[in-house]
Amino acid sequence: MTGGQPSDGVAVMEERIAAYLREQLEAPDLALSGVERIAVGWSHETWLFDATFTRNGVTRTEGYCLRRDPGNALLREMSDLGTQFRVLRCLEPTAVPAPRGYFFEDDPAILDAPFLVMEKVPGVCPSPWGRDGRRFYEEAAARGELPRAFTDALVTLHTLDWEAAGLGFLGVPEPGTGFALGEVAKWKRLIDATGVEPDPILVDLIGWLEANAPATDRRALVHGAYRTGNFLCHEDKVSALLDWETEVIGDPMYDVAYVLSDLNREGTELLSNLVERDEFISRYEAGTGIEIDMNACNYYQVLYGMRSAAFWMSASGLYADGRNTDLRLARTAWSIPVVLDRAARDLGY
Amino acid sequence: MAPDELLARLSSTLRHDIGPAVVEPFPKTQAFMASVVLEKLSAQIRLASAHAEAEATDLVALAADLPPLLGTAPVPAAVAAATDRLAAGDGVPALSALVAALWAEREALGPERFEAVLARARITMRARIDRQMEYAA
Repeated sequence: MTGGQPSDGVAVMEERIAAYLREQLEAPDLALSGVERIAVGWSHETWLFDATFTRNGVTRTEGYCLRRDPGNALLREMSDLGTQFRVLRCLEPTAVPAPRGYFFEDDPAILDAPFLVMEKVPGVCPSPWGRDGRRFYEEAAARGELPRAFTDALVTLHTLDWEAAGLGFLGVPEPGTGFALGEVAKWKRLIDATGVEPDPILVDLIGWLEANAPATDRRALVHGAYRTGNFLCHEDKVSALLDWETEVIGDPMYDVAYVLSDLNREGTELLSNLVERDEFISRYEAGTGIEIDMNACNYYQVLYGMRSAAFWMSASGLYADGRNTDLRLARTAWSIPVVLDRAARDLGY
Repeated sequence: MAPDELLARLSSTLRHDIGPAVVEPFPKTQAFMASVVLEKLSAQIRLASAHAEAEATDLVALAADLPPLLGTAPVPAAVAAATDRLAAGDGVPALSALVAALWAEREALGPERFEAVLARARITMRARIDRQMEYAA
């Protein structure tokens, strides 16, 4: 697969990872086991493995997760592993559940591409789009603990003192409409990067978004894709928030809108296939002290239409120009009209 | 066999014969995804001629409807240019240019003209996306 799999194969990749960790951990006897490349996400390659090594005369086994930037994946232009690593390091001393970041390497000589190594956190991450995943969340919803944990993790994220955590490097939007317009500009850049003439509906959508940006001074660390499938669950708790690829300092309603959206649930009224709407709203408001701004949420849900269109234009473009051979990307060419149909309805036509 | 029929048959073979026989998860997903792509491509090709004809008719009608909606008051240059492109048969890019110009010049146009012209353009855009949904959904 073009760029998806290292050219020299899994076994060689495994040995190169082991060699790197032996040096980093000063553990010449280090050996890897259970190495697997998991097929999640469309952006970076994800490798999971255990490393067994001796330190101070004691043999230990630790779990690791390695994410590698193949250079041809979705959001390549928007998501940088170095930034993700800094975010993970900033979050480590905080209450936000996130994997600990261990190493980041920008030098392509090591594994042919930039990569980061982080903690392998216990837990599972079922996809909410499949039958098994839907059943998983349905059963968890019935038990009740995970829906509360889902909301509480968002509360923790949005009440984090992001300045004290050192996350200001992500960029702080101007007060007023700065955040919304910044997001519109960000996704417009991705659309422009595809080199494809935007559909008239997309042009209309962008015009509407620029003209109707909500003014707010609310600021929080925003995950940008807060839903089931983007966090690990362990014993009905959120053990780690994943996919730090669209994080931003901005209006927490951006995440709330995503949770409230019907984009993230299938065949159920439960938000994100997991939590009752009223329960989410009351628990979130009580936990954060923030009253949910439905007008802002409605706006951001329209903005997610633009973002989705940008995603799919970028994804299908990667396949069309031969940079990636994953047919899931080719399939997204027909997701663009679906997103634009919805956007037109959002705009009243 | 017509190209759309051939693609539909290839899609069916991938879905019913090849995909189920593939064991490895990633190639299996790819086989089914190829089936989906070919199915949609088949429908798109089958409808392409009728859609192109309908689109051309819609764009001509839109171009004809714009001058009375814009009225006799001065029209911003970008809007006028896009309207001219539409009238000249410049197709969908001209429609995109018109919509962009409307949003950019909405203050100069004034709320009534802006709303009237955009509403008319949206009728054309709605018809266009409805056609695309016939094969994309």
